[in-house]
Amino acid sequence: MIPLLATAPVYGLPSYLFVSALLFAIGFFGVLLRKNTLVIYMCLELMLLASTLALVAFSRFNGTLDGNVFVFFILTIAAAEVAVGLAIIVALFRHRHTVQVEELNQLKH
Amino acid sequence: MSMLQHAILILLLPLASAVVIALFLRKQGALASWLSTATAAVLAAISIILLVHGERFESSVEWLRFGPFSVSLGIKYDDLAALMLFIVGFVGFLIHLFSLGYMHDDKARARFFGGLSIFMFSMIGIVLADNLFMIFIFWELVGFSSWLLINHYHEKQSAADASKKAFIVNRVGDFGFLLGIIWCYWANGTVNFSELNQLGAAHGLVFSTAIALLLFCGAMGKSAQMPLQVWLPDAMEGPTPVSALIHAATMVAAGIFMLGRINVLMVPQALEVIMWIGTVTAVYAALCAIVQRDIKKVLAYSTLSQLGYMVAAFGLGSIALEHGEHKMVIAAGVGAAMFHLTTHAFFKALMFLGSGSVIHGCHHEQDIFKMGGLMKKMPVTFATFTIGVLAIIGFPWLAGFFSKDAILYLAMEKNTAVFGILAFTAVLTSFYMVRLWKITFLGEARSDAAKHAHESGLVMTLPLIILAVLSVFGATGWFGLGLYPKLAGSIADLIPEAHGSAHTTILLVSLAVMTIGAGSALFFYKSAATDTLEEKFRFGFSALTGLKESFDKLYNYYVAKVQQRFAMVLNFLEQIVLAGAIIRGLAGFAGLVGYGARAFYTGSLQAYAYWFLLGAALLWAYAAGIF
Repeated sequence: MIPLLATAPVYGLPSYLFVSALLFAIGFFGVLLRKNTLVIYMCLELMLLASTLALVAFSRFNGTLDGNVFVFFILTIAAAEVAVGLAIIVALFRHRHTVQVEELNQLKH
Repeated sequence: MSMLQHAILILLLPLASAVVIALFLRKQGALASWLSTATAAVLAAISIILLVHGERFESSVEWLRFGPFSVSLGIKYDDLAALMLFIVGFVGFLIHLFSLGYMHDDKARARFFGGLSIFMFSMIGIVLADNLFMIFIFWELVGFSSWLLINHYHEKQSAADASKKAFIVNRVGDFGFLLGIIWCYWANGTVNFSELNQLGAAHGLVFSTAIALLLFCGAMGKSAQMPLQVWLPDAMEGPTPVSALIHAATMVAAGIFMLGRINVLMVPQALEVIMWIGTVTAVYAALCAIVQRDIKKVLAYSTLSQLGYMVAAFGLGSIALEHGEHKMVIAAGVGAAMFHLTTHAFFKALMFLGSGSVIHGCHHEQDIFKMGGLMKKMPVTFATFTIGVLAIIGFPWLAGFFSKDAILYLAMEKNTAVFGILAFTAVLTSFYMVRLWKITFLGEARSDAAKHAHESGLVMTLPLIILAVLSVFGATGWFGLGLYPKLAGSIADLIPEAHGSAHTTILLVSLAVMTIGAGSALFFYKSAATDTLEEKFRFGFSALTGLKESFDKLYNYYVAKVQQRFAMVLNFLEQIVLAGAIIRGLAGFAGLVGYGARAFYTGSLQAYAYWFLLGAALLWAYAAGIF
C-alpha cells in the first residue's frame, strides 16, 4: 500500500472517528430535541458531514482515494438536497406561517 | 318448407305471440286475445299438417359445452310427440277460442292471453324436446306459466296462495327430477332419448331403480301424484279455461308423456312403486271428489284420479322382462296410458269448459248446490257436458270406455289387487260424476244466479260441441277409420286389447262398475240445496272430508312445526356462528389490531425519529446476529 502523503498524521484514526461520532451524535440529538424545522435541518446536515469526516479519515489511513471520491459525491448531492429542502421549508413557512414541528401535525388530525 | 322448419315454427310462434303481447299489447286486450287465438289456430293447423305428412324426424344443435359435457337443444318428432303435439295444438286452440268468450269482460285480458301463449310455447317445448335437459328447461317454463295463470285473479288472496302452492310443490318434484337427469347423465353419458334408446337396444344401458324413481319425481309433481297431489285442487283458483288447458288436458299430462319418453330407463322395482302410487292416487282422489261442493273441485279431483289411472297403467304395463342376461321392456303401459291421456284430454277439457260455461252463465257461482235446473236454460252446455260425463264413466262406445278398458285389462292381466282398486275407482268415478251432473243440471234452480242463467255464446259453445264429438268418436272413429295408427303410429300398436273370454270379462266388469256407480248416485242424490250424503251419513261424509284435508293438514303441520323450527335453528346458527363468530369476529380482530397500530401515529415528527432510531437499532442488532 503506497501512502499518499509522506508525513504521517499527528493523531491516529480513532481520534478522527471519535470526532466524527461526536458530531453525528450532536446532529442526531439535535434532530430529536430541537423544535425548529430549520435547526433540525441543519442538524441533519451536521450528521451528513460527520459521516463525510469519517470517510475522509478512512481514505487517509487506508491510503486509497475511494473515500475521497465518495465525499465529493455526497457534497454534490447534499448541495442539491439543501436547495430542495430549504425551498420546502420556505414554502412551508409561507403556507403555514410557522416552522415549529409540534404545530406541523396535520396528518394526525 | 321442410317438416323440420314446420316444427321449429310451431315452437317459436307462441313465443313470438307472447313477446308481442308483453311488449306492445298490454293495454289492448281485444287485440291481444285475437293474436293469441290466431296463433293457437296456426299451431293446431301446423300440428295437423305435420301429422298428415307423416314424416318422423330428429335434429339437434349444441347449445352449451363445458369440456366433455354438452347440452344440446333439439327436436324429436316421433309417434309419441306427434300424438301429444296434436292434443296440445288442437285442444289448446279450442280452449283459446272458448277463452275469447269466457274472458271477454276481464280487465287483464292481455296478461291472460299472453300467459296462454307462453304456456303453449313451454308445452310444445316439452313435447318436441329431444333430451332430458331440454325437457327440464321447458318443464320449469310450464311451471312458471301455470303459476302466472293460476295467479290471474291475484287480488284474491286464495288465488295468490294457490299459485305459490302449485309452484312450490312442483319445485319439490322438480328437485328429484333434476337429480334424476344428472344421475342419468352420469351413469349413461347421455340424456338424449334416441341415444338412450339405442343404448337400451344394445344392452348398454345402466339400470338403476334410483334413476327411474328420481325421474318419476318430476312426473309426480307435474301430474300431481301422491304425495304431491295437494296443489292441483287449489289450482282451480285460476280462470276455468286455464284449468281446462293446463290442469286437465295438457300440462298435468306432461308427466305421463315424460314417463313414456324415459320408458327405456324403467326397472321392475321402480315400475312397481309407480304402479302403486298411481293406483293409490286414483282411489284417493275419487274418494275426495265425492264430498266436493265446488263444480271445478269435483273435476279437479276427477282429473287427479284419471292421472292416477294413467300412471298406474304405465307402472303396470311397461314391465321389464328379464331373459337371463337380456332385459326386454314391453311398453304396453305406455300405449294404454297415452291412449287414456288422449281421450281424457278431450272429455276432461270438455267438462272443464262445460263447467266454465255454467260458471259464466251463473255469474261466477261455483257451488253446485246453488245451481240446479240448468238443463233447460243451457241446453247446449247440458248436452255436451252429459256426453263428457258418459265418456268419463265409460259408457259403451264412447272414448273413455275404450281407454279405461285398456287399462283395466292390463291390470287384470298383471295384478289382481290393482285391478280391484281401479275397478272400485271406476265405480266411484261414475258415482261422483253422476252426482255432479244431477245436482248441477236437474231439479229446480236454487239461487238467483241459477234462475237467471243463460246459454253462452257460439264462441263458447262451438268448442264444447267439437270436444263432445271428439269424446264420442275419439276412440271408435279413429280405430274405425284407421286414423289412430296414423296419429300415433307405433303407440297404437302398444295399446293392450283383450280377446276372447278376457274381452267378455272386461266388458262385463266395465259395464257393471259403471251401472253400479251411476245408478246408485242417480237414486241416492236429490238435486237439492244440501248434500244427501251429509244428511244421511254424516260420519261417512266427515270421514271423506277429513281424508281430503288430511294431506293439507299434515303439510301445514310439517311446515309450521318441523320446517319452521328447523329454519329457526338454522337462523340462530347463522346469526351466532356465521355472522357472529366468524364474520364479526374477524372484523373485530382486524379492528383491534388497527386500534393498536394507530397508537404509533402520534403526529409528532420527533416521535417518528425515535421509531426510526429503534428500527435502525433492531436492524443492526439483527444483522450483527444478536438475535
